[in-house]
Amino acid sequence: MSKTLCLKVWGDFACFTRPEMKVERVSYDVITPSAARAIFEAILWKPEIRWTVTKIEVLKPIKWISVRRNEVGKVASADSITNQGDRGLYIEEHRQQRAGMFLRDVAYRLHAQFEVVDGSKHVHRYPELRNRFTPEPEESQPEHPAKYLSMFQRRARKGQCFWQPYLGCREFSAHFELVDDAATASLAEPPIPDSPSLGWMLHDIAFADAMKPGFFRAEMKNGVIDLTGVEVRQ
Amino acid sequence: MILQSLYEYYGRKRDSLPGDGIERKELPFLFVLRLDGAFLHIEDTRQGDGKRKRGKAFLVPQGVKKSVNVAANLLWGSVEYVLGQPDPKKLDEQRKKGKEKHYRERLGTMRTAFRAEIEQLPSTVQSTPEVAATLAFLASDNFSPVMADPLWPQVSATGANVSFKLVGEESPVCSASVVLASVGRFCEGKSEPRICLITGYPDIVERLHPPIKGVWGAQTSGANIVSFNLPAFNSFAREQGTNAPVGKRAAFAYTTALNHLLASKQRIQIGDASTVFWAAADCRMESLLSQFFDEPPQDDPDQGTNAVKVLFEAPLAGAPAIYDDGTRFYVLGLAPNAARIAVRFWHVATVGELARHIRQHFEDLEIVRPRYVDRPFLSLKTLLVSISPLGDLDKLPPKLAGDFIKAILDGTAYPQTLLQAALRRIHAEQAKKDEKGRQKEHVTYARAALIKACLKSFTRNAGLNEEITVSLDESNINSGYRLGRLFAVLEKVQAEANPGLNTTIRDSYFGSASSTPSAVFPTLMRRNQHHMTKLRKEKPGLYVKRDKEIQTICNDGIDGKLGFQPVLSLADQGRFVIGYYQQRQDLFTKS
Repeated sequence: MSKTLCLKVWGDFACFTRPEMKVERVSYDVITPSAARAIFEAILWKPEIRWTVTKIEVLKPIKWISVRRNEVGKVASADSITNQGDRGLYIEEHRQQRAGMFLRDVAYRLHAQFEVVDGSKHVHRYPELRNRFTPEPEESQPEHPAKYLSMFQRRARKGQCFWQPYLGCREFSAHFELVDDAATASLAEPPIPDSPSLGWMLHDIAFADAMKPGFFRAEMKNGVIDLTGVEVRQ
Repeated sequence: MILQSLYEYYGRKRDSLPGDGIERKELPFLFVLRLDGAFLHIEDTRQGDGKRKRGKAFLVPQGVKKSVNVAANLLWGSVEYVLGQPDPKKLDEQRKKGKEKHYRERLGTMRTAFRAEIEQLPSTVQSTPEVAATLAFLASDNFSPVMADPLWPQVSATGANVSFKLVGEESPVCSASVVLASVGRFCEGKSEPRICLITGYPDIVERLHPPIKGVWGAQTSGANIVSFNLPAFNSFAREQGTNAPVGKRAAFAYTTALNHLLASKQRIQIGDASTVFWAAADCRMESLLSQFFDEPPQDDPDQGTNAVKVLFEAPLAGAPAIYDDGTRFYVLGLAPNAARIAVRFWHVATVGELARHIRQHFEDLEIVRPRYVDRPFLSLKTLLVSISPLGDLDKLPPKLAGDFIKAILDGTAYPQTLLQAALRRIHAEQAKKDEKGRQKEHVTYARAALIKACLKSFTRNAGLNEEITVSLDESNINSGYRLGRLFAVLEKVQAEANPGLNTTIRDSYFGSASSTPSAVFPTLMRRNQHHMTKLRKEKPGLYVKRDKEIQTICNDGIDGKLGFQPVLSLADQGRFVIGYYQQRQDLFTKS
């Protein structure tokens, strides 16, 4: 049983895009478990650990805003960038206006755990060197979780991250703060008292299994979504 | 949530909506056949007159989505498919291109495809009298009696959809219950089932969702909410519908429900957003909501007033009209974007909350009205037209209407743009004259009501509780309000001192008086002395009355301070306008 780590995350805008309304974006009402996982991964991730989000608390009422943005309709092919032709993409020829219904002023308290898994398939980039230098026996052992735990806590306190955490879409940056004592934080800043029905939400994507999406029945009780032992259908 | 709620609505209304694989289609012409397949005559089912002639709608097997390929519908279609007869316009086009032969070959394919569709039906269905007659007719290959029929030129020219009917029957062959029952689209198991994200149960993924028709501004052939029509929108190299696994059943259900709502009375057009609304269970609000915001129709001009009356009915009077039993109510605003539909807003609330917010909106709008306005009801369109330049709704910022209705339904603060637009129109029209050269009222009932509603909404959402009364409030000491009142009295004095004047201080000074009072009011007070002098000589009684009025307004303190403000904030300018309007109504009321 590993320790549950808690982060408070907030931002001005968020868009956890629904898969079915991905073009004219409509956001889910609350953060998806996969977006929450991405925030933890932005702070610390190694091939040996895997994050699982256990609880989501919604701290501010759900507000919406509708924004229309200019985007592009074509995908630049690898050829056009490297070798031939225009080396890129003329945006003005492929303009697409896409409207979006985003969330406004969001704040969540996310609880997650990590587990140490086998990272040995992430081989070194230099196989020729690997054969020359046999790895020490200690190197092939799985790491002690306490190492990653302290790494995460130190980094989260300092505000260190590999990339800026974001709320669904990269342009909506998230601020984060490590919460040491989740219980007192819950009393100081309680989740919203609503219990709306959220229907089937995207849980995560099984990257190993042909990128299959998994959905779960999201139930929010008094602003808290409990993800432990939730049924995910793929 | 949106698609899920539509899916649940389909489940609730299942009996009145077309079932799986069936749609409602207009068939303007029907070929009437005898039992043995002999052709009798063409029947015209169109109703209405002139351009508004619409064919009668029947339940038919759902049309196949086609672009340039040949795909026949079951037992109904255009004459190209049914008879293989060329469409005259297309024939001319192809002749010019030199591709006539190619077109005629294609017609032959279309005809064969049409017959093949019918022959694919199970034999029990094929042997029913209706289908048998149809097959016999098609097999006879003799279509000259059809062409000889007097209605044929119209059929051929309009390219309308036709079907068959047995003599003596009410409905066409394609609507026969045996035919509709045999239509089962969900039996094909070409791809493996995936979990549908609406229902949570496994189902075959729908690749191209049925189109949504009726969204204003979108393609007439229909647009899609769920569409991935360009490569930039695909994820993980997926194509079309596989980007979002929605099962065939669920896709059919939500599109049918949405098409039904868009064609029904449960819709309003707000700016460019086609808005539909429905409830989770039958409730009165479903039929009432459009009446609160729409223009009342010609034959029922009191519709809006009556609807508002229902809203305000006290719960004591027998059965309450709209009370809160927790029924969820959904409002969905859809905006067009060529072949796609964007969701402009989505609002979920209980019926009671919604009723409360709309009641609040109408309470805020209430203001004393001039005698020439007989109906107090202000539809959304009236309010927006009053603040648009030259009454042209297109000149307003496009999202304003949508944001306005969202604020009304939400109970949140109205957009600031509304107040600003209203004040701007008032300033722009301060010197407005009608055709005869007389002054035209620039602070109209609609504008004053809107400003009052905006001010009340702002202060309520800021936590303060401002009291703006319906008619003149003598005890209001807000400087903007008082200055507006003062301006109204000064203008009246000028008009009374110089009868027959068609230009008053309003034409030149209204805008500056409301925004920078200290620059303008000293001049106005000085001018006023001359008018008062004239009045004292000619109408001494009136002079005393007006003098008292001016003194009351000034002495009770313009906001408790002496002198005039250098600048008024936007909200205070709004109060200026309200003060002006209410004072004028009071001055012109015969006591």
